[in-house]
Amino acid sequence: MAGWFDPRRTNIERWAYTFQRVTGLAVLAYVVAHIGDTSFFVGGPFGEGPSRASWAAGLSVTESLLGHLVLVMVVLVVVYHGINGVRLILSEYGVIFDKPSRPDYPYRAKSLRAVQRHLIWVAIVGAILAALYSGGLLLG
Amino acid sequence: MRESTLMQMQYVTAVLAVLLVGVHLLMQGVLVPYGEAVSFQRVLSVYRDAVDGALLEILLVVVLAHGFNGLRTILIEWRQTPSWTRGVNWAVLVAALATMAYGTRTVILAATGQVS
Repeated sequence: MAGWFDPRRTNIERWAYTFQRVTGLAVLAYVVAHIGDTSFFVGGPFGEGPSRASWAAGLSVTESLLGHLVLVMVVLVVVYHGINGVRLILSEYGVIFDKPSRPDYPYRAKSLRAVQRHLIWVAIVGAILAALYSGGLLLG
Repeated sequence: MRESTLMQMQYVTAVLAVLLVGVHLLMQGVLVPYGEAVSFQRVLSVYRDAVDGALLEILLVVVLAHGFNGLRTILIEWRQTPSWTRGVNWAVLVAALATMAYGTRTVILAATGQVS
């Protein structure tokens, strides 16, 4: 796993791979926590139905500066993971690749189309814009 | 289940998750003001609407299936022994089903339980 962050002989696709995995783990951790916090809508683990008091108590924890900062970070990683994930699926099915051809000097993979690499930047810029937008909504 | 089948499932759940999470995020601040989206009455009405409640349950199952299968993939690439792979497969399956069960309990209680 340490190899994910090894900066030697890497390219942007390699970093996109590393961040896909890191953001995936972060999103899974948030989803599990979110399932826990939304359960307070029904009174938590021992509740029996929708409870105004329990939901208000839950919101008092999540509706804070720290809670909103976490939400902005979640938007950042979710949007990156989603857009880059679509790129990976399109790559897997060859949609954004050309047919491979004979490797000639300087041996750059001719099957990699520019659109494939552009989509990585769409994921990065899209995630930053979504985080800024959500930051404006939650922190503004 | 074969790894190739699980990878196909990973792609299918990914596409569904992009759509469902996209809608979920839009409903939390873009299409519905954030303050209203987290209000008790609004959340209650979402859970008690047949379509919205069903979409939340599908979102829960799809995202957990995708997330825990992704975690499983990372773990079995990290160490590659038959016993580790078997242990990870079972542990991740149990964790995914337990989390799905807990989330589903919230959806059912929110949709049908007595409001207090």
